[in-house]
Amino acid sequence: MFGPRLVGENGIELRPPTLEDYKLFTEFQMQPEVTRFWGPRFSTETVATAEERLKRHLESSDSVSWSIVYQGETVGFTGVFDINWASRDGETGIFIGRHDLYGRGIASEAVRLRMAFIWNELGLHRTHNWIALANRGSWRANQKSGYSQIGTYPRSWFRSGEWFDEWLGEAFPGTFPTDKLPSPWRDEKHPK
Amino acid sequence: MALGGVIRGKRTTLRIPTEDDLPAYSRWMADLRVRRAGPIWHEPAMPATWKERLKEQAKEQRAVLWSIETEGRLIGLARARVGGLESPPSAHIQHFIIDPEEWRKGYGWDAALALHRYFFDYLDLKRSSTELRADNAAALRIVEKLGYAEFGRGHQVYYRDGAYVDESWVLMERPTWDERFGKTEREYVPFGEAR
Repeated sequence: MFGPRLVGENGIELRPPTLEDYKLFTEFQMQPEVTRFWGPRFSTETVATAEERLKRHLESSDSVSWSIVYQGETVGFTGVFDINWASRDGETGIFIGRHDLYGRGIASEAVRLRMAFIWNELGLHRTHNWIALANRGSWRANQKSGYSQIGTYPRSWFRSGEWFDEWLGEAFPGTFPTDKLPSPWRDEKHPK
Repeated sequence: MALGGVIRGKRTTLRIPTEDDLPAYSRWMADLRVRRAGPIWHEPAMPATWKERLKEQAKEQRAVLWSIETEGRLIGLARARVGGLESPPSAHIQHFIIDPEEWRKGYGWDAALALHRYFFDYLDLKRSSTELRADNAAALRIVEKLGYAEFGRGHQVYYRDGAYVDESWVLMERPTWDERFGKTEREYVPFGEAR
């Protein structure tokens, strides 16, 4: 399924992806500047098959996906995937496809909105993720919303003569910082 | 493509799965003892659905499925993803299920050892990994004996029996295999001696 619109701070929001977003995601994932820690930079997916992918994700019962929007422009995607509804556990992920926007706190805000929705609306018990250890910005963004490291997977993949480890993290509802709860959940009139 | 061929252990054989195996697969997936021990390969289903699943498995590019038997009797299944493009060539064991009626007879260890011999001595993989429920003592014993080491631990990951259980992520590197089993566990007699 697609997640609802969640409005954050500094012009950042999550919203249900559109077909145009899906076409953009394919282009993002083929760019060297943003794939140092993401995928092999080849894919069977094309712009032409975007609609098919969108439908597949929309109809999925074990994932929730969003586009990340910054000042009105789609700049990436995030979500929770492979949800095990019996154990109420899922894997989270985030991808910012615009390297010129790195360092502006977009990932941190997107993660905050995503995690607030997961804990307050999906009722999950736990989430987990794997992030390149060298991608400090990404795991720091997750830490700010309650993720902590639970292991390191050594030599996960190879780039430009170096092996990179992965940072393994997990989060629980109780590890989300209560003072960072976004609207609408922090609003006084929001029903409990 | 990805139905596994024959791998011979001392007491067990991993072999290509057939449609005749599917009723047992379905029975195991419905068995609470199996579901408690680890992840199942699909939920129980009607025979036609299982046939479809086997057909789909055969099309898998990277995940290989084997049936495990002993003395001509089906006793389990194993499924692993094999690959490595950006990462070291590796196997990740996703499912390793032994019929609960055949537990505590050493079949799991025998089949696991043979499967790892195939990974390291035949496919020349550099590592193998898997995840285990932290209270599955039998599985933990097998991976420890093989030479796996824990690299991560998920807390309260699986829910069953009214409570959560942790998950242990374990990894075994090629040098460990070579050191422990490289001299004794060979898929073939060295060619030089066979001539």
